Amino acid sequence: MSYQSAKMSILTVNLKHLYQRRGLWLVYAFLGFIAFACIAGALDRPAAGKGQFTRFVLLSPVIGLLAAMLALEVVAKPFSYSLPGHRKTLRQFISVVGVTVSLLGSLLFLMYPGLRSWQLALVPCSTLFAGLIFYWLGVWLIFGIRSSWRFVGFLPLVIITAGFFNLHVIIERAIVETPFAVILVGALSSVVAWRLLGNAGLARRYCAVPWLGFLDFWNRDKLQRYTQAKKAIKWEKLKTHPNPWVEQFFLGRMKECEYFSQGRHVWGGLYTTFAVALSRWRDALSGFLMALLVVCFLGYMGPAATIIFFIMPGFMVAQTRLPAYSSMLVSGGRTERFITTITLVATIAVLVTVLVTVVAASSLPLAAIMPDFTLRGANFSFHAVNMGLFFVPLLMIPIVFALQLIFFRKPIFMMLSIMLLFMLLFFGGFFGLPALVLQRNIVISHAVHKISID
Amino acid sequence: MNSEKPIVQMRKVCKRFKKTTALDQVDLEIYPGRIIGLLGANGAGKSTLLRHIIGLYLADTGECVTFGCEAGKLGPKELARIGYVHQQGELLEWMTVRQLVRYVSTYYENWNRELEEKYIADFEISTKARVGSLSPGQRQRLAILVAIGLEPELLILDEPAAALDPVARARFLDLLLQIIQAENRTIIISSHILSDVEKVIDHAVIMKEGRILLDCGFDELRERFSQVRISALTGELPAELPFENVVYCKRSDGQAILTVRDCPQEKLQEQAKRLDCWVEIETLPLEEIYKIVVS
Repeated sequence: MSYQSAKMSILTVNLKHLYQRRGLWLVYAFLGFIAFACIAGALDRPAAGKGQFTRFVLLSPVIGLLAAMLALEVVAKPFSYSLPGHRKTLRQFISVVGVTVSLLGSLLFLMYPGLRSWQLALVPCSTLFAGLIFYWLGVWLIFGIRSSWRFVGFLPLVIITAGFFNLHVIIERAIVETPFAVILVGALSSVVAWRLLGNAGLARRYCAVPWLGFLDFWNRDKLQRYTQAKKAIKWEKLKTHPNPWVEQFFLGRMKECEYFSQGRHVWGGLYTTFAVALSRWRDALSGFLMALLVVCFLGYMGPAATIIFFIMPGFMVAQTRLPAYSSMLVSGGRTERFITTITLVATIAVLVTVLVTVVAASSLPLAAIMPDFTLRGANFSFHAVNMGLFFVPLLMIPIVFALQLIFFRKPIFMMLSIMLLFMLLFFGGFFGLPALVLQRNIVISHAVHKISID
Repeated sequence: MNSEKPIVQMRKVCKRFKKTTALDQVDLEIYPGRIIGLLGANGAGKSTLLRHIIGLYLADTGECVTFGCEAGKLGPKELARIGYVHQQGELLEWMTVRQLVRYVSTYYENWNRELEEKYIADFEISTKARVGSLSPGQRQRLAILVAIGLEPELLILDEPAAALDPVARARFLDLLLQIIQAENRTIIISSHILSDVEKVIDHAVIMKEGRILLDCGFDELRERFSQVRISALTGELPAELPFENVVYCKRSDGQAILTVRDCPQEKLQEQAKRLDCWVEIETLPLEEIYKIVVS
């Protein structure tokens, strides 16, 4: 086999990852659905200058992000470093995916209304390069910003904001009206990307570095190994953590209980669960301020949207490790672990509910001072959070933890079931729960009124 | 027949993980005051067996009794008599070494502070270091400390020396011999480093594919397997060598090396006398015995 054909086969092997990883099928289904919606939206009633045709192009950064992550996962494996020709496959893999996706996006512009003969060739070409510009942006996010995959969750927000400011319309105009400029920028960015991705130091930089891919969030063992490796460096810097008073408090409570008693194990469980949070009060304060900002944002989104505020904490605590499956042997038996776990779940649920209620209650005085405003023709007025939903975390957290324990060895099922629960609560809340709560409040107020009259 | 009461009794224990049979009809009795070597290839079921003893895993069928209590129902009093070094070594990463030791020791009435200090000094453990930032070797040392500090009657070591350097391994083996000096202490050690294990164990259990192939005293095991070196004093060796139960034979130019099973040394000496040869009889190292047993 010649060197050239061997090189091609390495690329083929890497491209096969795109369908061999079954976890990606879910991502493809999601992206496919969005792509279908974009194409259907453009072809249904094609109109020029409305940004219908560039929505598909705007998917490019997401695909760039995904392709770069997949390529890096392979490069981070030590065995791939010494495989002949493998290091150069990184840029080939990323480029092949990028060009293919951008080409597909550009074909859509063949249906763009009002294009004259020479434009029929130039505009799709311009779209191809526009797609590549956005694709390289996604790739750069992965290589340029450390742990940028963490921000994947914010993508919907970015897309909504971009849509709000008509970015798709601006891009469409640029593609159609200034094709040469777009082609020039696209070609330059592609040359730069090709050269940077071909840098021999790149493979050296990422080889054997603890790396967590997009799909590894569902791989508990890998997640644990990665967090251990990363946090070790961080923890070494935090010399005062956990705080001595936290240790003294919890160990003191443990010592007050009899040896081998349930109380000693419960206090031990509370210590290992809450010590970090209690020691980092600055982070807790930042979290509180962040929650207030979320309340402000949701307050302007309307009363029904505030259900999200009560659902989100359930998600946030889902990764808390419960002692039920701990393999670190202390003197607690199965009964002690069970009771400790139940106590912890109850404590977390009550604490989170209280905190969420306090933050939600702060929206009541905010309602009096938050101004109304108009943005792009839409009127926004602040609504206090519906306090009638305060019980949602109290109900949701035990269910989330139960799912965590049931699917402990199958994190993908855990994630899916929690997402399903989220959807149920969200749509239930959006359409029915507030109405139910309001109805209940009316019934209660009627009853109170009747009693007071009697 | 042993007159003592076993501290661990496993009867017909079976455990399956989906299609894999991890333990298959395992019968085992562990008596106090011994160092037991649990030997076997990767996936032989050693760790699964050890986790059944402390009730981390529950048997699908059969029974596992530890300290007279069903392993799944072990309470704090029984568990306080067991020290366990886990293969992956789950520890609390965010604590310092000193904080972790303080936390674990709070659970135990008999925590030995002297032993703790001596161990920390001997094994050069940095008490101010963050657990998450320890090297694999340091981490292993810490895991051993939290398992021995409670002065356990039963110490279970699942691959304890894999991450230790040769000096630390030698110190660790010495430590095991010191621990066993105390009355009624029992140690179960699972390891692939057979040259280390054979220095300390007095009982061997060899596993393969979830079954126990061999369960006997180490001295008895060594007596069962011998290596016989025969050199002809004049000319060639006889075509037929008068030894029974030969499991391996290698001949070359007037010399032969035989591995013999279940043949007492006296009998071998007697048989060797009949040959007009120079005969040397040796016991086999554990590694060789292990290969013969599992093959």
